[in-house]
Amino acid sequence: MLFEEMMNNDQLVIGDKQFESRLFTGTGKFNDQQTMVAALKASKSELVTMALKRVDMQHKDDDILAPLIKNGMNLLPNTSGARNAKEAVFAAELAREALQTNWVKLEIHPDPKYLLPDPIETLKAAEMLANKGFVILPYVHADPVLCKHLESAGCAAVMPLGAPIGSNKGIKTAEFLDIIIEQATVPVIVDAGLGSPSHAALAMEMGADAVLVNTAIAVAGNPVAMSEAFAKAVQAGRQAYLAGLGGQSTEAVASSPLTAFLEASL
Amino acid sequence: MKIQVNEQALTLPNSMNIEQLLTHLEKPLIGSAVAVNMQIINRSEWATHNINEGDSISLFQAIAGG
Repeated sequence: MLFEEMMNNDQLVIGDKQFESRLFTGTGKFNDQQTMVAALKASKSELVTMALKRVDMQHKDDDILAPLIKNGMNLLPNTSGARNAKEAVFAAELAREALQTNWVKLEIHPDPKYLLPDPIETLKAAEMLANKGFVILPYVHADPVLCKHLESAGCAAVMPLGAPIGSNKGIKTAEFLDIIIEQATVPVIVDAGLGSPSHAALAMEMGADAVLVNTAIAVAGNPVAMSEAFAKAVQAGRQAYLAGLGGQSTEAVASSPLTAFLEASL
Repeated sequence: MKIQVNEQALTLPNSMNIEQLLTHLEKPLIGSAVAVNMQIINRSEWATHNINEGDSISLFQAIAGG
């Protein structure tokens, strides 16, 4: 197959949906709704995350849903705030009613300091949600064994972290992401910690199927421009992966002929 | 009729269903989820599920998040 043809047919399939863009985005932490919508549009992202909260009876919340739906974005509600499997299942069921989707980003992080995902509760919740017909995308540590368990439990993808949520530290889990990507039979979405477009490009070069970026875009000096930069980086990284990266070596490998023509006698 | 909505005591002027309650509270139907006494009520039942005296209603809304 021609390379161009390969690039053109390079669609990501998760559950019942196909995606052109391999950049998924979050809706949190933007200064205002207008910037959020403009940035998400610029990202060309087709899957955006949302959270759910108990309504504050004293205040009126902004309606952020209408512009997202209007722009054709698929919504991925998360279970953020859940501290165990039982709470996560309840949150997922509420989100299904609120957003009329059976897709859920399963996240259970009881520790408020590092927001690291609880593997035991996450696996428990995944098993329960699979029985209830959810399309589950679990946020997990870059643990290859856990990712295989989640696959067996029926998850539609796995979302291992690069670094703690919102830390912008980049890919600190590369060795383990490599193993997860090698072994996975479901899409691998690198989530959390990607702080710059080069981090996203690296994840894609490594063979990740997609990345999820929120903080790095939302808190950028210019979120719309940063969104575009991430979109380009994800595309470049994917293209590089498909093109086949050259191997590495410790010693130099000459790129020019080393014949000693300057010394040659005429 | 006395009920609780998100742990806040509330008196309703007359009997109503969930859809009417959301409108009464000026809350959007889109993006909302409702549980009555911790039981989630399907959206398709909002127009027929009547609120009873003493019910504890939990009201949730989709918001921005990562």
